Amino acid sequence: MADQKEYLRNRADSQIGKIVIDRDLCIGAASCLAVAGATYELDGENKVVVTNADSVDDATLTMSAESCPTKAILLFDKSGKQVFPK
Amino acid sequence: MVNFKYLIIGGGVAGVTAAETIRQSDTVGTIAIVSDEPYLLYSRVMLSKPNFFLGKVPFDQVWLKGEGWYKEKNIIFLGGKTVNNLDTIQKKVGLTDGDFISYQKLLIATGTSTRKANVPGADKKSVHYLRSLEDGKGIMENIKTAKNAVTVGGGFIGFEMADLMQLAGLQTTVVLREPFFWDPTLDSASGSIIEKAMEKVGVKILHTNEIVEIVGGENVEGVVLKDGTKIACEVIIFGIGTESHIDWVKTAGLKTNRGIVADEFMKTNAEDVWTAGDITEYKDLLLEENVQMGNWVSAHEQGRIAGLGMVDKKEAFKFVSFYTTQGFGLSVAFVGDVTPGKDRMIISRGSIETDSLARIYIVGSELVGATLINRTQEMGTISKLIGQNIDVSAKHSELADANFDLNKLLT
Repeated sequence: MADQKEYLRNRADSQIGKIVIDRDLCIGAASCLAVAGATYELDGENKVVVTNADSVDDATLTMSAESCPTKAILLFDKSGKQVFPK
Repeated sequence: MVNFKYLIIGGGVAGVTAAETIRQSDTVGTIAIVSDEPYLLYSRVMLSKPNFFLGKVPFDQVWLKGEGWYKEKNIIFLGGKTVNNLDTIQKKVGLTDGDFISYQKLLIATGTSTRKANVPGADKKSVHYLRSLEDGKGIMENIKTAKNAVTVGGGFIGFEMADLMQLAGLQTTVVLREPFFWDPTLDSASGSIIEKAMEKVGVKILHTNEIVEIVGGENVEGVVLKDGTKIACEVIIFGIGTESHIDWVKTAGLKTNRGIVADEFMKTNAEDVWTAGDITEYKDLLLEENVQMGNWVSAHEQGRIAGLGMVDKKEAFKFVSFYTTQGFGLSVAFVGDVTPGKDRMIISRGSIETDSLARIYIVGSELVGATLINRTQEMGTISKLIGQNIDVSAKHSELADANFDLNKLLT
């Protein structure tokens, strides 16, 4: 079972309902922090955690997930369908 | 001669991010990426990570963009082609296969190359460097049968490769020119935390030494060191720095130093020519000096900035760079400017005894950088303290207190 953490998103203007961090894949490269510093933090294990799932718009959130060099950030729409990585 | 509105040399994260950024603003202009590697965008970062290397995550996880993405974005990928000539007046580049491509706007994002060892025997099979997917595959293949590894160099690649070798079950010896690991970027206290963790799992570290000869037949059988020590090994990995191959750019009249010189918009001195990623020596607005930074996060952001400039949506690169890694049960992060040898004040935070130590670099009243061992949870806050130019001149004792919450310094 993969070590995944889920974070629900409740922005009215957003198509994305959930952010999932795969902690097995995450290496703490922190490119997501560079793109969306208000959304993520690194924890003491050098893994990314979501501190504010609603802080940025969909385009920025998607770019933060795309910037990840290990594809450790998964995005789901409000119906639960995975939208990234495709 | 084929022509593209936007021509990008280099298929790594800087080039691909630039292409993506351009496409967001210009939905019709032709975009081509020329790469000397045959591969679509893959994760160079993953190449040195244990989960990938040891097969715990599937190999295919290395691919970041598939053919479908390039097709959907209408970005043409020209793989396995090397550019060696640039004419900024006629606005064209020459390839080693004799072809020419003309452009309206050009981005050079070729990255750097690994510095090669210059000792007898360095051309043997199983002498490795790590830059490309091909390099990674070579090492993965080699460690299947090898029992002993030597890694050379006390930086990120040396650290990660030594970790991988011991995780793969190889008896690993690290050869360093320096007196301790990560000298001179780290101090000896930080270096000792790292070495203690490495030695605990059986890695041998040899200081102030270097390889003078690599022995064996077609394959490596061992190395001879400067002090006469002989070590048997079947695989050697050098992580001894990078070089910028920019002669062709220099000949074309672009301003170069160690890398290609750019302003804060990633624009070179030549008309309609930008540069991004590891090859770029950009004007850093936060540090007020020219900086060349070799890491994924910075390359991604530089690609975005260059792409914006190429579609006339100029935005300045104002970014606190960082790089993190983990290995031997430790996490290590460098934030901002930690270039050694500059005149700056350094405040230590934590201790060897707790295996948790930060060093905070201060110039005048502000933070400019930090090295963090087992304190990566402070990286985000430190980046903000640097980026927001917060005056910490009256807060030195708080910075030195390992239990003080740095978030309290943010305004």
